[in-house]
Amino acid sequence: MTHTPPLLQVRDLRVQVGERTVLHSVSLDVQPGQLVVLMGANGSGKSTLGMALAGHPHYAVQGGQALLAGQDLLQLPAHERARAGLFVSFQSPPDVPGVKNNLFIRTALNAQHEARGQEPLDAFDFLASAKKAAKELGLPEAMLSRPVNEGFSGGERKRNELLQLSLLKPRLTLLDEIDSGMDVDGVRAVVALVQKLRAEGTAFIVVSHYLTMIEQLQPDAVLRLDQGCIAETGDLELARRIARTGFARAQQTVEA
Amino acid sequence: MDSARADILAARQHLQQQGWIARRSEAFHHLPPPALDQWLGAQLEGGCEAPALDGSGWTLHPIHNQFGNHASSGIHARWLDALAPAERAELFAGLPLPGEGEAAPFAWAQRALCRLGLRVRISATPGREREPVWLELRHQPRAQAEAPLLVLDVEPGVRCVLIETHERQADACRHPVAQNLHAHVRLGAGAELQHLRIVSPAADDSVAHHVHASLAAGAQYAQALVASSSGYHLQRSCITLEGRGARARSAALLLAAAHKIDLQTYTRMQAAHGASSVEALALAQGRAQAVANAHTRIAPGADEANVRQRLMGVPLAGSPRLVLRPHLEILHDNVQAAHGATWGALPEDALFYARQRGLDEARARALIIEGMAHALLERCLGGEDDGLLAQWLQGGWLARAIGGQLQANAEVQHA
Repeated sequence: MTHTPPLLQVRDLRVQVGERTVLHSVSLDVQPGQLVVLMGANGSGKSTLGMALAGHPHYAVQGGQALLAGQDLLQLPAHERARAGLFVSFQSPPDVPGVKNNLFIRTALNAQHEARGQEPLDAFDFLASAKKAAKELGLPEAMLSRPVNEGFSGGERKRNELLQLSLLKPRLTLLDEIDSGMDVDGVRAVVALVQKLRAEGTAFIVVSHYLTMIEQLQPDAVLRLDQGCIAETGDLELARRIARTGFARAQQTVEA
Repeated sequence: MDSARADILAARQHLQQQGWIARRSEAFHHLPPPALDQWLGAQLEGGCEAPALDGSGWTLHPIHNQFGNHASSGIHARWLDALAPAERAELFAGLPLPGEGEAAPFAWAQRALCRLGLRVRISATPGREREPVWLELRHQPRAQAEAPLLVLDVEPGVRCVLIETHERQADACRHPVAQNLHAHVRLGAGAELQHLRIVSPAADDSVAHHVHASLAAGAQYAQALVASSSGYHLQRSCITLEGRGARARSAALLLAAAHKIDLQTYTRMQAAHGASSVEALALAQGRAQAVANAHTRIAPGADEANVRQRLMGVPLAGSPRLVLRPHLEILHDNVQAAHGATWGALPEDALFYARQRGLDEARARALIIEGMAHALLERCLGGEDDGLLAQWLQGGWLARAIGGQLQANAEVQHA
């Protein structure tokens, strides 16, 4: 029997934000093409995990390890983590005033191509694929020539995250509440894109509170984060139970 | 003595009597200009054996507009010798005397030294009245001390798009220049002018540009300035909204790499229903000194005037000195006015966002700074794909200038 090493391997990750330790000890493995759902009450540390893995300077790693395809993520600057194949969608994607969306994505894509020794993408070829991806995600083509996220609604910002995801094609994606602010069609677009990328080998950590989308995503595992630790590991049934009883009840169940 | 010579002597006499700009001057005390001798070229006389500069002064280049044709038929240009009495009279015809204001010594010095000027009149082309007239004016220095003059008249109802550039050619003489330039822009009723000004002096140059704009009723003036710092660099605009319903927008991007730059924008709201907005973004680093002044005066009777001022300063590295001074003088009740100044670092969240997508620190910073610059200029000139700004941006000047500034910054940090 062959053993496939996990794409992402996190061990005893401890993270401080300001004076407060938010993640006390988080360990998890994600295999290529696998989808892990991360649930937890507000403030339990879900977004902190994403930001710490991404290398946000305000999230100070105090201990532990995070390997992406065997590479020590925590030793890399933020942009090299992205180039290594990590994509983190933001819960509140910021504006980048004056930078057109298509220029932003093409610059990012070419930076990643350059890091891999690949030729930069031709502007026309890129635009054609960006238009196609935008259409599939229900994002108006005009959004490509508007400044990144400026004047976008909440749902449009999330769709724009998906657009970047679909063009950057990372190895591991962390989607942080991608469904919040999304309409029904948006959630369908999320599911369709995730299924497509999973089939191509992309692994996912999905942070979500909503069972409907979680069920459609057909996760391989569901984790419950509580006070900075993985409190429970299960499958879809765990997500259903949390949806039914809430996090407070789930906590009591574990203690009992 | 001929009238041109008499006029020059009168200007010199006025300067002798009234003196140069006082160090306590409100407008100039943050960045006092070099002494009068420098602007008159007195320091250079007899002392320099280097060959004279051979720049061509003003040159005019009609450009293709978005309708795909040259619009040169609406452009009437006259290069006039300010030392020839008749031509000097024509050159200065209708221009106000310098007066006694804070910056008046610059205007007197300009009258004393001016050798050549350009008068341009923009009129409608029969049958194409609503098509804008596009043109480019380039200026290359002709002397180590010079005082060029430009008079631009846009006739009533005419639309004009103008790019004005001041860049030292790479192969030109590199002597430092003292340039005291005055431009008078006059818009007739309902005329529209989009005016993009690029001023990139050499590091040791002393530059003082004065734009005097007057707007008749319903006229619209948008001036976007991109200027880099030098030994001394003043960009001063006095915009007077004389007619009812006139509108003025001005935006300035100041690239202060290691030297000095002083932006002064004075707006005078003289009539009812006028609107004015003044924006500036100063990017400074090292030991640069950048000052941005915005002063708007709403005169009595300027009913329903609408005024905005927004000044931003971003220190990129080192310990630059950034002074932002928004100022409103409101002498009428029924008006709307807002002003503000912000001073701070590049937006951290946007920087991290770009880095999370794979851009290294330097590229992320450059992209975000370029974005801020684009946004500023677009708010002034509009962002149409076939518009003035888009055409200019295609040339890549702004990206190169910002890249150069950040590169200089990186070199200083590593030194």
